[in-house]
Amino acid sequence: MAKGVLGNDPFQRGAASRDGGSAKPGDGTKEASAGDAKPARKEAARKSAPPAKQPARAKAGGGKTSSAPGKKSAAAKAGGASGGSRDSHAAGDAKVPETAKAGGRKSAASREADEARKSEVAKAGGHKTPAAGGAGPAEAPGRKQGTRAAERKHEAEAAPPHAEQPAALTDDEAALPLREPAAPVSPHSPPPPRQPVLSDELGARTPQQREVDHALAEALAAEVAEATAKVAVDEAMERRPGEEQDVDRLMATEMATEMAEAAVEEVLEHSPSTQHPERERELAAAVAAQVAEAAAEVAVAEVLDRHAVSRRQAFPEEGDEGLEERAANAGEGEEEGFQDTFDLEAEAEGGFGPGEDDEEVPFQDTSGLELSVTLSVTEQGTRETSSLEAEVEAPDATRDEFPPGRRGPLSLVPPPDEGERPREPFFTDQVREPEGPRPLAQRAAGMLSLARDIAGQALASEGLGRALGAMNGLMEAVRAGLGTGGGANIDEYGKDPALVEHLEPVLEFLYSQYWRVSVQGADHVPQGAAILVANHSGALPYDGLVMSLVLSRERPDLREPRWLVEDQVFHAPVLGTLFNRLGAVRACPENALRLLDEQRPLVVFPEGYQALSKPFAERYRLKRFGRGGFVKLALRTGAPIVPVAIVGGEETSPLLGRLPASFLGLPYLPLTPLGPLPLPAKWSVRFGEPIGMEGLPPEAADDLGEVQRLTERTRESIQGMVQSLLRERRSVFAG
Amino acid sequence: MHRLERDPEVESILVLDVARPEGAKVEFHRVDLTRHDAEGELTDALTERPVDALYHLAFLLGPIRDGSLAHELEVIGTMNVLTAAGRARLPRLVVPSMTAVYGARGNNPALLREESPMQGCPHSRFVTDKVEVEGQVRAFRERHPDLRVLVLRFAPVLGPSVDNPATRFLKRGVVPTLLGFDPLWQALHEEDAARALHLALRADASGEFNIVGRGVLPLSGIIQQAGARPLPLPGPLFRAALHTLDMVGTGTLPVALLDYIHYSWVADGERAESALGFIPYHHVRDAAAALRRS
Repeated sequence: MAKGVLGNDPFQRGAASRDGGSAKPGDGTKEASAGDAKPARKEAARKSAPPAKQPARAKAGGGKTSSAPGKKSAAAKAGGASGGSRDSHAAGDAKVPETAKAGGRKSAASREADEARKSEVAKAGGHKTPAAGGAGPAEAPGRKQGTRAAERKHEAEAAPPHAEQPAALTDDEAALPLREPAAPVSPHSPPPPRQPVLSDELGARTPQQREVDHALAEALAAEVAEATAKVAVDEAMERRPGEEQDVDRLMATEMATEMAEAAVEEVLEHSPSTQHPERERELAAAVAAQVAEAAAEVAVAEVLDRHAVSRRQAFPEEGDEGLEERAANAGEGEEEGFQDTFDLEAEAEGGFGPGEDDEEVPFQDTSGLELSVTLSVTEQGTRETSSLEAEVEAPDATRDEFPPGRRGPLSLVPPPDEGERPREPFFTDQVREPEGPRPLAQRAAGMLSLARDIAGQALASEGLGRALGAMNGLMEAVRAGLGTGGGANIDEYGKDPALVEHLEPVLEFLYSQYWRVSVQGADHVPQGAAILVANHSGALPYDGLVMSLVLSRERPDLREPRWLVEDQVFHAPVLGTLFNRLGAVRACPENALRLLDEQRPLVVFPEGYQALSKPFAERYRLKRFGRGGFVKLALRTGAPIVPVAIVGGEETSPLLGRLPASFLGLPYLPLTPLGPLPLPAKWSVRFGEPIGMEGLPPEAADDLGEVQRLTERTRESIQGMVQSLLRERRSVFAG
Repeated sequence: MHRLERDPEVESILVLDVARPEGAKVEFHRVDLTRHDAEGELTDALTERPVDALYHLAFLLGPIRDGSLAHELEVIGTMNVLTAAGRARLPRLVVPSMTAVYGARGNNPALLREESPMQGCPHSRFVTDKVEVEGQVRAFRERHPDLRVLVLRFAPVLGPSVDNPATRFLKRGVVPTLLGFDPLWQALHEEDAARALHLALRADASGEFNIVGRGVLPLSGIIQQAGARPLPLPGPLFRAALHTLDMVGTGTLPVALLDYIHYSWVADGERAESALGFIPYHHVRDAAAALRRS
């Protein structure tokens, strides 16, 4: 993100070229120190280095700028300068503009060929090996310490001449801390679209509470940061004996603290503070401590760097040294910090637990990660370089390791600008380098967090959330059907209200969008016990489910309805269990009587199983209504009969054929177009006038003639409604 | 037993058993119901010490290795007990049974009442014997309408100290179930079972009673509550495997269970509540969870 913006910055180009350059010697030195450390002597190296380095550099440069061969020579020259121009400052300075240009192009090219670069760099490193080995490892084993010591010596030497300038410096430094501290984090400022997610989540705690939490956490963090920074700076300063130690110390501490605070603020802004104010505080404190510690190093380096910069007028090479040290230290320090931050993130992620809370963490994660990667690279590259330079203790080799972009201003631009300049490359570095030698695991982690981020955002969107809920419900339904659903709250008929609730999104979709059920005359259903007699339609008994949906939506004042299904459905493995959980009850007089006693509307399909098996051509032609069981039931209980016509069910799952399925305990397996899935036919449900049982004694249930009469009456009523619904229907699917 | 001992209105407990139990109020009389002269012995014991109620609890619940012994004990033993009780004019006889006698069938109503036919389970000798015992008891009750004969049909009794086919079935880590079927089960906590037996001592009622816990759970729910995992297996495979195992004789699972993990068998405990005053304290969940804790 920041890459594109910064890419236009000339300074950044310089820096970009620098990382290519700095990475090379890093690799090279490593190999060198491993391989041919002993044979190389300083003198010998000095002689052999320039010629050896030059081709290597040229090659590296050529590899990178292969698209623009014209620049090769410039790059090669620049490389040559870096290797061989140590004897004359003038030569090095003169080449600066050229090199800068080359560097700029090179960086553009290298950005395009990021993948190629790695191998190229490795090659270059390999080529450079003898040279680097020659230059570097004169005192190979204790090199690092040696470097440090040498640098400190420089510092000590450099300080006196520069003692008169503190006043001038403070101006720069006053401006510095403001920009410096924010920098490591600011490139990763959160993209705006994430804001809503955050605000959604924060609903749990009021904004005021949140503010208080934040303030508390920040105050705590500030304290921690200051303390840690002080200690860390003291430590850092101890390692660099200098003149204005007190001033530097103060400034460095302040800088580090501010950096830490900025980081904390950043963290807090993204932290999932909803439910865990204490955790937030903990996190803030931890982040503050770590960042402060890490920043102390950078700050000290920065402060000292001021001196170096001012000094550079007189002794440019030493200034470079200081800068370099700063960079190295920054890398080191930050890497430490990062390691911890990363741990912290991991912990935070684990701690903040499941669900949406995780969403926030990833940014932090990514930023920490990116930071870490960049900085570790910087460290790898620069520190090795600096150590190398320190060994050599010669002015120009050192300087040439630096990006031309930075080196240019050294001589050409007046000093006041210097304060800004070295910083820009430093930070652009951070953004530029993530594709560098980032370990695969880290990269994967970065990708993962990004993916999680996106998933989180998607989750936050309502539609997808609903879809996911529906998926969840379906999964549960499948589990219930397979017989592993569990379910702790099931009524004695087998209905699982929790499952129905989970399936609600699916049912709602089916009801209002897929089947577009239209209902007429729902208020014909009387209160209390009622027998709703409907025509069965379709090869799969969805109609019962639809009827229960219709009643629960159109008549919420009624008790929860149940529908009776024939035994065969209950014998079917998955279907029977699932329907049972959704509210189907096996059709038998005992169940029906019990349900009517509970004053529920009871949906029955007197056609029974034969209605499900009638061929498509005979759809909507009502079959014989069994033995009139529902009439007997109505006569016994006095519950009125409500005829109901359902149209659409036949087209939802037309019966195309029957597969033998006796091995499943079923007479046949219906062959439907989409398997168990229904087609999107439009459903119409019409309730007719209730047929009351008034004036008929319960004993009439034994009067077969009476039962027959009522049965036929109901059947005709339903058939009539079905016909009129069919006439009104213009299209099967559109309605 | 302990509950009876704590009851202040119970003066003494005559235990007729093969092994002597502990207890202050206990009077022990050794009776082996499987012996041919058991009936005479029982009659003697009962006339010697007239009791107010006789609990006929001599049933095997452990893994039944010896089918014929079980049959002797169940059917012939009960016959002896019933004859002795008739001779001794026992005022009250309590015989426990189980809801499994209804059988798990696809055409069971949602709630089985006491009048429902006892379809039993043709695969299980145990259940068949039980059905036969119930038939004897019913005949006995018809012959002696002046005596109170209570048959308590217990749902599977679960609890830490119970060992019966149901607990053995549910105590596994992974419980095989039939793919695509998840019948409703009931269960009774052992404390509720003991309470029901105690209530039967004074209840002014006669006949069969379903003694069930509160609520129902699908089999998978019970399994999960008991701390195990259901493993759904396709029916034909499961059936074949079970029959093979049974033939080999290493029957770890009774074949009879197949029915019970296939279809629901939910009994209606309404009559026990109204006539015996038995209201279960424990939900099925608790009963199953008690199994896990043990």
